[in-house]
Amino acid sequence: MLKLNNISKSFGSIKALDSVSLEVREGEVLGLVGPNGSGKSTLLKVMLGITKPSSGDVLINGKVLQEKGWKHFRKQIGYMPERVSFYDNLTGRETLNLFAKIKSVNGKYEIIKRILSEDIQSRKVGGYSKGMRQRLNLAQALLNDPELLILDEPTSGLDPMGIKEFYDILDEVKSRKNLTVILSSHILAEIEDKVDRVAVIKNGENKAVGSLEELYTGLKLPLKISIAISEANTMLEELLQEEGAEDIRYSKGYLVASVPRQSKLKLLSAVLQKQNSFADLSIREPNLEEVFFGVH
Amino acid sequence: MSTDAILAIAHKELSDRLKSRWVMVIAIGFTLFTLIISYFGTIPSGVAGFRDLDATIASLTSLVIYFIPILALTLGGGIIADERDKGTLELFLCSPISVWEFILGKFAGLSVSLALSTLLGFGVSGIILITKTGTESVAGYLIFIIHSILLGIIFLSISFFISILFDERSRVIAVTVFSWLFFTLLYDLGLVGLLIVTKGSIGADIFSLLMILNPVDVYRILNFISIDQSAVFLGLASVEVPSYMTTSILWGISLIWGTLPLVASYILFKRKYLK
Repeated sequence: MLKLNNISKSFGSIKALDSVSLEVREGEVLGLVGPNGSGKSTLLKVMLGITKPSSGDVLINGKVLQEKGWKHFRKQIGYMPERVSFYDNLTGRETLNLFAKIKSVNGKYEIIKRILSEDIQSRKVGGYSKGMRQRLNLAQALLNDPELLILDEPTSGLDPMGIKEFYDILDEVKSRKNLTVILSSHILAEIEDKVDRVAVIKNGENKAVGSLEELYTGLKLPLKISIAISEANTMLEELLQEEGAEDIRYSKGYLVASVPRQSKLKLLSAVLQKQNSFADLSIREPNLEEVFFGVH
Repeated sequence: MSTDAILAIAHKELSDRLKSRWVMVIAIGFTLFTLIISYFGTIPSGVAGFRDLDATIASLTSLVIYFIPILALTLGGGIIADERDKGTLELFLCSPISVWEFILGKFAGLSVSLALSTLLGFGVSGIILITKTGTESVAGYLIFIIHSILLGIIFLSISFFISILFDERSRVIAVTVFSWLFFTLLYDLGLVGLLIVTKGSIGADIFSLLMILNPVDVYRILNFISIDQSAVFLGLASVEVPSYMTTSILWGISLIWGTLPLVASYILFKRKYLK
């Protein structure tokens, strides 16, 4: 759907983006992760046409997007910026009507009522909570029934309930149509199970891109094993060491270690033979945070 | 160009000024101001009472040149900073409207707000004055209102440029105040200084040309021509107006003043926010 080809962007002597190539596939949720100042926001602005790349191309459905094409492309985009407070003196409905006219939207999109009830829409935005403002922000992004939804730190400042509500709504929107979503966030645990693929941006470079499984494999990240034990067990420690486990330590009643992916079965088999010496055992894949630091 | 988008933005700006009673407060201010000027304008001669419209226009012109520019400059001065601080500027930039549509919408909304308050304020006071002094010079008074609206639009256009040129509100305020001082006071002081330094040798033509570079002086001359009573004018506008300086030429200059800063705002905006 959207493809970035060798995008570079410099602001004076500062290189914000360095030959970033990235493909956003139709219908997927692409997570954009990276530390503050990594170039994520600049990359989003290039995708929105607000920032012109110093070099490289933005392609839509295989065609290079020229300056005049942006106006048309933006009709297909919904953008939810991280920080927007809207106009305190307008009601939610007036705000949505303003942006509907700007986006040349005639019909009312039904999902808007689900995001922001009629009652909340009739209130002045000045009296909105942070969560309501984020809902209004999402509603304006969805006004034009977009093909591509770009979310920049969408849950920033929300409490856990607000975060859950937000992703429930996003799931609902996704279930109604084949929406493509770009989700930029630095809260890795939060988006881990929401994304189909992840692009890790650092120092303006695209360090890695792929599904989490592809990244685990590509980065050769070890699995995490946790063995519940009542007291220190040197026999198990030695066993783990023999099977190539690393970073072996005790933590809150567990013997934990990093296990090379290729040793998984052999190690499990060896440990299970000593099952009388421990109460429980779990083995898990690395999480997005570990992928993130693995890339770094 | 999407007229709907321009109208939506303009409507929002006008609606904001109506809801906040800005339009009404300014209109009432203009009405009271005109009536007071007209009634007490004859105090120096020992009597108080409403004067004819020509004399009122002359007095108003000398004072409106201070009020309307500062109103217009402050009205438009924060327009971009407000959107940027609210985060809505980014939403406008990535929506399917052009920079022109955005700027024109904002400009149209504020221009109508300013024009409405000027029309209401001077209109109501004009009706009261007509009932007291008769209908003579009504046309001149109407033209004075139109000129005053034009003056407001010119300074609104300048305020847009200042608003886009500077990011910090403190700088916008400082430059706004300086611009106001420059156009309403310093420029004419400079001209007087030039006359003194050159001992009047610069010639009337060059002097007139220098005058029309300042929109405030153009406004003065336009009103001066419209009521054709140089005796009632004070200051630089009472100098002899060259024959080539017709109303059309002066309107043309005013329109250039109203347009150029707006075009410059558009170019600057694109360079600054779409780089």
